Amino acid sequence: MDFTRRQFLKLSGATAATLAVIELGFDDKKAKASAKDFKISQLKPTPTICPYCGVGCGILVYSDGKDVVYTEGDPDNPINEGTLCSKGTTVRQVYTSDKRVETPLYRAPGSAKWEVVDWDWAMNRISEKMKDTRDRTFIQKENGITVNKVESIACMGGAALDNEEVYLLSKLMRAGLGLTYIEHQARI
Amino acid sequence: MAKEYIKYVDVTKCDGCRACMVACKNWNDLPAEPEEFQGSLQSHAKVTANTWNVLNFIEHENSKGDLEYLFRHSSCFHCTDAACEKVCPEDAISYTDFGSVVINNDKCVGCGYCVQNCPFDVISLATYKDKNGKEYRKAQKCTMCTDRLEEGMQPACVVTCHPGAMQFGNKEDMLTLAEKRLSEIKEKFPNANIYNPAGVGGTHTIYVLAEKPSVYGLPEKPKVPTSAVIWKDYAQPIGKLMLGATTMAVMAGFVSNKLFNKGGHDHGQDEEGGDSDE
Repeated sequence: MDFTRRQFLKLSGATAATLAVIELGFDDKKAKASAKDFKISQLKPTPTICPYCGVGCGILVYSDGKDVVYTEGDPDNPINEGTLCSKGTTVRQVYTSDKRVETPLYRAPGSAKWEVVDWDWAMNRISEKMKDTRDRTFIQKENGITVNKVESIACMGGAALDNEEVYLLSKLMRAGLGLTYIEHQARI
Repeated sequence: MAKEYIKYVDVTKCDGCRACMVACKNWNDLPAEPEEFQGSLQSHAKVTANTWNVLNFIEHENSKGDLEYLFRHSSCFHCTDAACEKVCPEDAISYTDFGSVVINNDKCVGCGYCVQNCPFDVISLATYKDKNGKEYRKAQKCTMCTDRLEEGMQPACVVTCHPGAMQFGNKEDMLTLAEKRLSEIKEKFPNANIYNPAGVGGTHTIYVLAEKPSVYGLPEKPKVPTSAVIWKDYAQPIGKLMLGATTMAVMAGFVSNKLFNKGGHDHGQDEEGGDSDE
C-alpha cells in the first residue's frame, strides 16, 4: 500500500486532535443521571388499616390492578402520620409473598399432608365440629349452680380486629356458644 | 435550581425497629438477603448491594461502666466530595442538585474502584445474570431516594421513621436542628457530637451521635483516599495536558514538515508547481 510519510502525519495528527477534543471538550459528568421510572406516578393509593397490632396505623396501598406495587404509611392518618414500624412496612408481602396461602388447606387426623379444600367445605366442617364439641361438652350445672358453659373450646381474638368485629366475636362466643375462655392475642 | 437537602439522623431517638431497612427494600424493590446470626440483634454485618441501609446494634460500655445499647441507621453518606464519584473511570457516578450521589447503572461497568475507595464502606457490587446466563456486576448503594425527591417526596426511610429519629430538609435547617439537639443531649452524653466530616467536604447524611464515631464503627476523620486525589486531580489532567502537547507537536511537525518539504525529497512534484507560479 502506498502510504507516504505525509499521509501518516496527517492521519496521526487528525486522530490526536479528535482524541484531544473528546478528552478536553466534553464533560458529561454534568449531565443529569437518567431518572428511572417513578413507579407510583400513575397509581391511585387505596387507604387501609394495618392488619398487625392494635395501634391501627393507616397504610396507603399502591396497586396497578394486578399486583401491589408499593405500600407506605398514610400521612393523613392521625394515628401514625405517615410512619410505620418494620412489620407494618412489610404489609405488601401479605399479598405478594410466594409463601402466601390462597386456599383453605385441610390436614385430616393422622395425615401427614395438607390438601386443598374449597371454602364451603371448610366452613361447614368447622361449624360441624364446633357444634359437635360444644353439644358434647356443654356443662349445664356445676356444684348445683346453673352455669351453662363450654370449657372445651377457646376463642382468641386479634389486635387487628376493630370494635365491631370484636363485639360480634364475643357475642357469638360468649352468648351464642357459652365459651368462657375468650382471650386476646396481645395477652399471650 | 433544586435545593440542597440533608438527611439528619438523631441516633438517640432511634428505637431500633428497623422499619427504615424494610422501607428501603420496599421502595427500591430489593430482594431479601437471608443472613447468618450475627451474634446480636443486627441482621446484616454491613450495607450490601441489595441491602442499602442496615441498622447497627452496638453494645457499648460507657465511662461509668454501664451498658449502653446504641443504634445507628447506616447507609450512604452522600459526601460533598465523594471518593466514589472521583475514582469512577466511566463517570457513572454523579452529584444531583439535591446533594445526593447517584450511580448511573447504564454506564457502570462493575469495576469496583468505588467500592475500594469509599471511606465509609457503603457501596458494593451486585451480581446479575443476563439472558444468556452470563454474569455481570453493577455498583449499588443508597440513592437518597433521588427519584422520590424529584417528585417532591421525602426518602422512604425518613417517611417511615416513627420515633422521628430521621428528618429530611434544607441543609441549613438540618444543621441548626443538629446543633440544637446536641446541646440538649450533651449533659446525658458528654461525648456526643455531630458527625459531618470535613475530610469529605461534609456529608448529606449527618448524625448526632451519643458517643465517639469510632464507637459506632465510623472513621474519626474520613477523607477521600490520597491515591484517588493524585490520580484524578493530578495524573489525569497532566495526562490530558500531555496528550494536548503531543497533538500540538504533531500539528507543528506537520506544518514544519510541509514547509521543510518545499525544498526536500518531494522536490520534483512541488517544484514543478512552484516554478510555474514563479
